[in-house]
Amino acid sequence: MEDKQQDSFFQMHLDYDGGRILNETVRWSRFLSIVGIIGLSICLLAFIIASKYLIPAVSRLVPGIEDMENVAGALIMVVILIFGAVFGFLVYMLYRFSVLTRKGIEHQDQTIFAEGMKCLKIYFLVSGIIAVLSLLSNVLSLTKLF
Amino acid sequence: MENQQTPTESSSLDNFFNISFDESTRGQVRKAAQWARICALCIFIGYGITLITVFFGKSASVDSELGGAYRAGSIIGSLIVVAVGVWIYLFLYRFATATAKGMDAMDSIKTNEGFDSLRRFFKILGILLIIGLSIAALAILISLFR
Repeated sequence: MEDKQQDSFFQMHLDYDGGRILNETVRWSRFLSIVGIIGLSICLLAFIIASKYLIPAVSRLVPGIEDMENVAGALIMVVILIFGAVFGFLVYMLYRFSVLTRKGIEHQDQTIFAEGMKCLKIYFLVSGIIAVLSLLSNVLSLTKLF
Repeated sequence: MENQQTPTESSSLDNFFNISFDESTRGQVRKAAQWARICALCIFIGYGITLITVFFGKSASVDSELGGAYRAGSIIGSLIVVAVGVWIYLFLYRFATATAKGMDAMDSIKTNEGFDSLRRFFKILGILLIIGLSIAALAILISLFR
């Protein structure tokens, strides 16, 4: 019992300033995630509505794809769904980080707070992977340009 | 006796002290910081590649008057975008370095510094998002009432 108390004493605690900063961080991240979810939903809806115009537009970039209309439509749909799922997961993780961290601080619940931090880790992990992939595509476009 | 704090006053200040960065939470935050650093570095390199493309790319060697104006416009535009982007992602980089240091050294001042940078990063993104959405709403209103 005494050991446990000593352990808790030597741990790094969230102080008043840290709590205040985290509360504001969480407020902005929640705003970003909610706008992200709405924006993503509008984008997906727009893609679904405009899907019949997408095949002619893509056929200008990839000649010959209009002959395989069904396959091209399915391919475009799959690509859009993958993008939607990845970015949806990203904004959902940001939302979960904001909700759980706020709840953890308000209810003084260590487990919920740790869960919020886990969501922040997943959010940056996915963002990092997307950043590395986009950097690779950027480098590839650079080699084509010169 | 007069100076004695009431329980409600002390509990609002003590709220945060029940939350601690235990071993597993520190691990999550450290991983988040690592991926945030990777993300920021990839974006910095990407901006560098964008500048190289704009300054030395094939499209830069257009001789006509219109081509010259287009080139100047694209250089100025990308310089502004890169400057703003670097300024924003510098906060993410600071979050990554300060938080990782804070977690390793169990230093709450460094950790607070890191989370403050994350707060600024999300705040700037939020403000830019509000500005962007306002401009988009204004553009839609203008096109509707024309």
